[in-house]
Amino acid sequence: MKVLVAVKRVIDFNVKVRVKADQSGVETANVKMSMNPFDEIAVEEALRLKEAGTVSEVAVVSAGGPQVQETIRTALAMGADRGIHIPCEGDLEPLAVAKLLKALMEKESPDLVIMGKQAIDDDCNQTGQMLAALANRPQGTFASKLVLSDGKAEVTREIDGGLETVSIDLPAVITTDLRLNEPRYASLPNIMKAKKKPIEEVTPQDLGVDVTPRLETLKVEDPPVRAGGVIVADVDELLDKLKNEAKVI
Amino acid sequence: MSDILKSCAAALQAAEGLVEKARVNVAERVVAEGRINAEALETHQVAAHGLAWLATYGAALAEMLAWANRLQEAGSLGELETLILKATFGEYLAQMQGGLAMSQVEIVRPADLGLTSEDVAAFLNNEVRELMASGTAPEVRVSIAGHLAHRHFGDPALGDEMLHMVRDQFHRFSNEQVIPKAQEWHLKDELIPLSVIEQMSELGVFGLAVPEEYGGLGMGKSAMCIVTEELSRGYLSVGSLGTRSEIAAELIRLGGTEEQKSQWLPKIASGETLTTAVFTEPNTGSDLASLTTRAVRDGDVYRITGAKTWITHGARSDLMTLLVRTNPDEKGYKGLSMFLAEKPRGSDADPFPAAGMSGGEIGVLGYRGMKEYEIAFDGFEVPAANLLGGEEGQGFKQLMATFESARIQTAARAVGVAQCALELGLKYAEERVQFGKPIFAFPRISGKLAWMAVETMIARQLTLASAREKDSEKRCDIEAGMAKLLGARVAWSNADNALQIHGGNGYAEEYPVSRVLCDARILNIFEGAAEIQAQVIARGLLLPRD
Repeated sequence: MKVLVAVKRVIDFNVKVRVKADQSGVETANVKMSMNPFDEIAVEEALRLKEAGTVSEVAVVSAGGPQVQETIRTALAMGADRGIHIPCEGDLEPLAVAKLLKALMEKESPDLVIMGKQAIDDDCNQTGQMLAALANRPQGTFASKLVLSDGKAEVTREIDGGLETVSIDLPAVITTDLRLNEPRYASLPNIMKAKKKPIEEVTPQDLGVDVTPRLETLKVEDPPVRAGGVIVADVDELLDKLKNEAKVI
Repeated sequence: MSDILKSCAAALQAAEGLVEKARVNVAERVVAEGRINAEALETHQVAAHGLAWLATYGAALAEMLAWANRLQEAGSLGELETLILKATFGEYLAQMQGGLAMSQVEIVRPADLGLTSEDVAAFLNNEVRELMASGTAPEVRVSIAGHLAHRHFGDPALGDEMLHMVRDQFHRFSNEQVIPKAQEWHLKDELIPLSVIEQMSELGVFGLAVPEEYGGLGMGKSAMCIVTEELSRGYLSVGSLGTRSEIAAELIRLGGTEEQKSQWLPKIASGETLTTAVFTEPNTGSDLASLTTRAVRDGDVYRITGAKTWITHGARSDLMTLLVRTNPDEKGYKGLSMFLAEKPRGSDADPFPAAGMSGGEIGVLGYRGMKEYEIAFDGFEVPAANLLGGEEGQGFKQLMATFESARIQTAARAVGVAQCALELGLKYAEERVQFGKPIFAFPRISGKLAWMAVETMIARQLTLASAREKDSEKRCDIEAGMAKLLGARVAWSNADNALQIHGGNGYAEEYPVSRVLCDARILNIFEGAAEIQAQVIARGLLLPRD
């Protein structure tokens, strides 16, 4: 059984993000970048399936500039077998990524595609669902537990107020939630081994996909700065302010 | 080349000129007929050690410029890195002229090094004066602080994707497995749990620098520095666990017989064998060559008698690298030999459950987690086959061969502690609100943090530079000594200032910065006290290298 894991390179979660002066986006120059934490969970899950003997090969794919190879290399250092880099410049929207992954699914025929439920940069939470729809395959999103048996995946999903367990046919698309597992650290021996693992380059043209953005970002703004509080003299003043300043009653 | 890099290059040349003049002056006082006169060196100790410090500043400027040039070539010399470079040159050049602190109470000034006002005037060329004025301006620190608020500390320019990955992994390991627990281990004076040591073994920490043919990874000193810095950023004692294995493995790799290498190196690399360095004695610290613990040959064994102290991780270790005197007629270093002495692991109740060996714990301010012991040997037996290299009288030489690596690793520990203090100070300054705003908003608070970030980067670059020298198999005793000397001062100064930012809370044991202050203090003492370090550097500078 073969697993394809899709990973995204994002601004590290420890970094306090800064909006560009021209409001065209956020500052990424000289900013620490890492693998999207939900995707790390996806890689970990694939590796655990391999260690359990259920899966024979874990391939990792990422789309973006040359630097995403570092992110792929991190997944290889965690233990994935090989990498696929889809070189793309500029912004990539979830639909474009879903199309790339669908074309790659046709090429690679994985039994399972796993990715994070969302990326921590744009919080879109769309790629997995779009991929399942485009590929016309079942989806198990927000997985907090995954069991494979007899050509089916039993996925426990985190939903409002509880857990829902669904059984879906393979091949399927799984998106991971925070509590699925705790990703491992890449050990030094595995980091050394990862240097020798192959990363194949597959272009959007090879896959026959047009990745031109369909959306235009008008502007990106910082959240409003919280104004300081004031102490009111009595209830009348409070009511007055709620009515006339805050206009909430 | 950009203007700032050009000015720094010109200023560096002036700084190196000043160092060379000082070197010539001091050499005139202490070197005769190509040899250092020991008595003269003692008489002119302040000048000689001052020279070591001045040259360390020169090396710091050189490495920082090299760092900026590497970033420039890679297209990643950003605003923050440029500001750090500027602040480095401004402050260090100003101190070279006005007086630099060997310690809080010992300021070395140009006149102490026989430098005349003409020498100083020649040093103060246009670029030096301009950088001194612009680099020390408070606005520079405010701008740097603006970047710190976004958790940007500057690109370390590791220049290698693999090293970045190593850094990221150990950064995360420290954040998740070490930082949340370190204060508790310290306050309870507990040994670092074996589960943590096992995790470190699995990650490959202990085999990092051991050659591949002996079960290690052969990754080199740059990787070692990065791992050590990140682990020490979590807790100095966790970063120091690797040091023990590093020293022992280096001793065996360089001085051991083939049998000794194949017997011990794989076990040290896997973390199965924990080692401890048994060198210091109650009356013998820096003057190691005069130690008195005896080893007497008795058939197939040597019997050890004498007292050792400051044995870190003494009880919970399996193998001692034991430096003793095998030849009592030879009073100096030539009478010393190194043994690989096995011992059973002990417990708090019975730390040394071996015949001929007893001892007790030494309570300490900080650097806990492995515990310190004094050990008395009374006829303790070591098989003759465990004499390192199989030949008596080689102990001191064997140990000296490992000093470069040990100093580089200790410098990296200092960088980790310095970064830890910086991060703690920064976090507190942002959270603590006084006079209606976070105290980070006050220039004397953010300015301290900015300078802490600058000097941490200086110590880091000196350390990585000496690691690269070592990796290219060049002699780097002076470079490694400088990195350790400066790194220890920076770690202490950062810890002290981070605590100051915490105010009274920093003095409370519940705040981790109180521990970091105690931990930082040891760095100026162990692995060559600051005074000895300066002495070694001075000797190296005054005598031409072979």
